[in-house]
Amino acid sequence: MTWSGDLLGGSGTIESVGSGAFGPLPVSWRARAEEPGGNTSPEELIAAAHAACFSMALSGALAKQGNPPDALSTSATVTFVPGTGITKSVLDVEGTVPGLDEAGFREAAEAAKENCPVSQALKGNVELSVTARLTG
Amino acid sequence: MPRVSREAEVVWEGSSAKGRGAVTAASSAAFAGLPFSEPARIGDPDGQTSPEELVAAAHAACFAMSLAAELTRAKAPPERLTVRAEVVIDEVEGGNHRIVSSSLTARARAAIGQDAFDAAVADADAGCPVSALIRGSATVSVDAALE
Repeated sequence: MTWSGDLLGGSGTIESVGSGAFGPLPVSWRARAEEPGGNTSPEELIAAAHAACFSMALSGALAKQGNPPDALSTSATVTFVPGTGITKSVLDVEGTVPGLDEAGFREAAEAAKENCPVSQALKGNVELSVTARLTG
Repeated sequence: MPRVSREAEVVWEGSSAKGRGAVTAASSAAFAGLPFSEPARIGDPDGQTSPEELVAAAHAACFAMSLAAELTRAKAPPERLTVRAEVVIDEVEGGNHRIVSSSLTARARAAIGQDAFDAAVADADAGCPVSALIRGSATVSVDAALE
């Protein structure tokens, strides 16, 4: 990650990551606090980490109980209040899971929300919630 | 200041050991369909990202912005900052995995004395929202130097 200049007028770039999966990605304060305009932000990256982590934890738990999912579609929405911090991450998941009922899916989603490593890191500082429903 | 909301989307297929996912930056569209999987998360990344790598990218970006703000406050807006974050996930008691640390390495080109720089670094760490949330359950360390 490189940055040049002050916070409000300056800009930065996430040059690369260890896996080579993404980068360079531009970032700026204006894009973080106002309209993204194509720029990612720490909060969007946390949302990406949380959605990915939660989906893996949920698929693992469903497989372990004998109901591996055909597909999960998850979104994470992270709220940032400048001056206060990251306050909330809201997960929403839609699943195609043969042999499982709504209540069982909701219960598994609730457990994955509690236990996935990114949830564990956010908990305490950030309000977490999940809504879950089956499709197909 | 108004609250800001940022969203990401994941599509996952299959069970965790053999399944695969793709993650998209839904608010900005800055990245789309980045693959991730359990084997790549634990072993060789093989070009795939992971939740931990995304947290590392978030932390580096957050700290860089906080340090730019603190240096500016100290009348020394940085000519250039380079920040690297390394996030470690480890097995803890009970067989669960936790993020245990995030280590930041920062190098700054700015017209500022050492003591004022050290104070700016401490304030940047205290003020960075991602540092604050990681510190709730894991270790955050900062190795910062002027170049």
